[in-house]
Amino acid sequence: MLFIFGHISRLLSMVKCGGSRFQFCANAAIRPRFLVMEVLIVTVGTTSPMHFFINTLTESAYRSMLFSEADREHVPVRVFDENGKDVTPQPLYQPDPAAVMSKHSKIFASDTSGGTMSDFYSTAYQTTTNASFAGPFTRSVFGSSTVSRGSQSTMESMNEEIEDPSSKRDISISLSDVQVRREEVKELIKEEMLDDVVDRYLIESETLWLLHMPAVSVSVDSEEAVSVKERNNLYMELCKNRMGNDKYVERSMQTFNGAPKTKEVQSEAITMVDAATTWDMYDSFRSAGLGEAALSPDTDKASVPEIVSNHRLDPTRAPERTMSPFVVPSEDEPDPELVLQSEKFQQDLFVMERIILENIYQPKLAAYRQLPTLEVMLHIECLITYKQPCLLDVPDPDSVPKVVPTVVSRREESSLDEESTLTPALERLWSFSCELTSGHNVSSMAWNKRNPDLLAVGYGQFDFKDQKSGLICCWSLKNPTWPERVFTCESGVTTLDFSASNASQLAVGMHDGSIATYNVESREKTPVIDSSDCAHKHTSPVWQVRWIDHERGASGEDKGETLISVSADGRISKWFLRKGLDCIDLMKLKRTRNEKAKKQVGDKEKKSEALISRQAPGLCFDFHPTDSNIYLAGTEEGHIHKCSCSYNEQFLETYIAHKGPLYRITWSPFCSDVFLSCSSDWTIQLWRQDLFTPVLGFTSTQSAVYDVMWSPKWATVFGAVNEGRVEIWDLGASILDPTIVSLASPGVKLTSLLFATETDCILVGDSDGQVGVYQLKNLTVGEGTQVR
Amino acid sequence: IATFLGRKLQPRPQNEVEETLKRIQGQKGVQGIIIVNAEGIPIKTTLDNSSTVQYAGLIHQLVMKARSTVRDIDPQNDLTFLRVRSKKNEIMIAPDKDYFLIVIQNPSD
Repeated sequence: MLFIFGHISRLLSMVKCGGSRFQFCANAAIRPRFLVMEVLIVTVGTTSPMHFFINTLTESAYRSMLFSEADREHVPVRVFDENGKDVTPQPLYQPDPAAVMSKHSKIFASDTSGGTMSDFYSTAYQTTTNASFAGPFTRSVFGSSTVSRGSQSTMESMNEEIEDPSSKRDISISLSDVQVRREEVKELIKEEMLDDVVDRYLIESETLWLLHMPAVSVSVDSEEAVSVKERNNLYMELCKNRMGNDKYVERSMQTFNGAPKTKEVQSEAITMVDAATTWDMYDSFRSAGLGEAALSPDTDKASVPEIVSNHRLDPTRAPERTMSPFVVPSEDEPDPELVLQSEKFQQDLFVMERIILENIYQPKLAAYRQLPTLEVMLHIECLITYKQPCLLDVPDPDSVPKVVPTVVSRREESSLDEESTLTPALERLWSFSCELTSGHNVSSMAWNKRNPDLLAVGYGQFDFKDQKSGLICCWSLKNPTWPERVFTCESGVTTLDFSASNASQLAVGMHDGSIATYNVESREKTPVIDSSDCAHKHTSPVWQVRWIDHERGASGEDKGETLISVSADGRISKWFLRKGLDCIDLMKLKRTRNEKAKKQVGDKEKKSEALISRQAPGLCFDFHPTDSNIYLAGTEEGHIHKCSCSYNEQFLETYIAHKGPLYRITWSPFCSDVFLSCSSDWTIQLWRQDLFTPVLGFTSTQSAVYDVMWSPKWATVFGAVNEGRVEIWDLGASILDPTIVSLASPGVKLTSLLFATETDCILVGDSDGQVGVYQLKNLTVGEGTQVR
Repeated sequence: IATFLGRKLQPRPQNEVEETLKRIQGQKGVQGIIIVNAEGIPIKTTLDNSSTVQYAGLIHQLVMKARSTVRDIDPQNDLTFLRVRSKKNEIMIAPDKDYFLIVIQNPSD
């Protein structure tokens, strides 16, 4: 109100000085909020004679207006001039109460007047006036958004001034404490008025006087003039002195602040869970869409946070209530024992074991799989940094392998040097053994045809004495410490072979003459089928079984794989399934002395001995690699018979050279005319199919050669194992001496040999139950496939 | 695992779990095995109590984060194995919805 006072006093001074209308107008221009008042003045005081009249009239008028303002009565103000004419200034616009129904005006009225909105007229009446006078209040009430606009509001016209707040009202969202009421009002109106077209009228309302302190002017000539002048002067002095006067001191008041009180609240730990993750939404969507089946264990596993969020969101997902009975059981604490015995856990253990072993055996396996570079770098880096071999998977790119001479004569460095300076050697990588197998004699080994990492090893004694129960272990390359499968057999296993057509079928021949097939996929310990019920089963140890794939089925049977076996009772039998395992004899190995005598005229050996049996024990056989009708069979007498499946009475050929039982015959995989045979007469003979004498014979030591095998990779290389050593022969290099010789551990006899098909490794089985894996190093072999 | 052994698993004898655990424990460099249930409480361990609790709590959070990461990228995917290799050892974790299998190995032992 202060500035109203100030304005009025200024106006008064203007009046007193006899300011012209212009000055009024000037004032009007500067203080637009009082425009109404000044308009009144101007309107009234158009002529100078009215000047005086202003004083009196306006005084009374003001007073009356003030009163009207004070008691809030809206007595219409009437102004009369000297002539008694009613010169009451009419409002510029007569508000139509019915028309103005804008909610904003109502709201505004309720806001500022504090609830005296009695009727439409009054509200309308108040609207514009409130706007004009409550301009400053408007601004303070409505916050900063209006302030800036208000301060820059144009001062040109009243209408604009009035418009501004109303428009501001439109825009601003009030912060006052009648927010609630306004909203209620808003609500009411909204529901009623939603569809109506609301007309907004901007009107100029009557000026409402909130405070009016009229200035009293005294004529210069009157009696009071002197005292009034004095008082005025005093007042002016006072105003001047106000600045530094002690009487007028800026003083601030402090409001009472309640004493702050700290209060501690304890709550449970708030767990923050990212509920809106992509997978969570996916899971929720799936479980909602698919129903109970979606949560079955063999589909997506629900993770623990998902369960948590499930239940947090439960109130919001009422349709998913059907899921909760299924979710709840999974929430229950699974019995620890149950966890441990679950299938998944065992599988995890299995995988974990393999991974651990991979960590341990990583260099060896890498070497096996012929990844030398990585290992070389690693090894050298290890030697440099740690001064000892260690296992790291990540090669350090900084340590470029250089030729570093080390004490350890390991193969890693050898590959860096020129190969010609190093001798070929056998590098022992690891061995398959466990406590189950220790003490058993390795009798045969076979790779799985489909999975080159799977190895089946049969354990059994060769001699008829010391017969223990036989053992078959299936080892995987990924776990050299424990076999994947262990099968126990009644008698010693002498031979085994994996089927090519059914890769999990393993045929086993045993020392008691029985043949069985196992399914290595299953965990059953019993054979799939056994020959013990067969009427024609072998009565003597089965020395070799082989799955042979016939191109033309013999005796009209369908093509397929059949199991052929040879046993010491002199029969080569072909087994098939017909209501149980049954066999027919392909060949009976007869003693050939008589036959040979018949064939070769002039043979000096015409001794006929008293024969215990007419049949010669067969020890080994091998089918021709390309012609599956032809096979070679070796007997205990040392003869090799070439036979055909079509003739089961006669041999096609006989090769005689060995003086002792033949332990192995094998065709060369590269040269189809050539085969090797080894026997206990310390020799290995190399034959050609059409020559009756061996082409080459190899003798190195004076011990029986138990096994011989061609290398699957090199045409001129074969390996042989005799009692004390492993020999690798390279016919391209030397035909007199083996190229590589590796001695067995003392006390252990080496009994079987197997080449690895894809890598440069050999497996050697010994009488202690160990199958050692060796890598062939530096074997430079020519590419020729011809022996000669 | 080779495809050869990717068959349906038959029920195994109960003691095989114990045997396998023993074998793992006896492997070179294995420092400890911890089996933790879904809540994070260890149910079987070969380490001392304080280490076990520490490992269990920390690894639980790590696995949750890892699993969340994998599944955020592709919700149909899921975490099957986690290996953390450090200077001194390697921690291998096989997570499942009911348990975690944690093995700590020092390969250069």
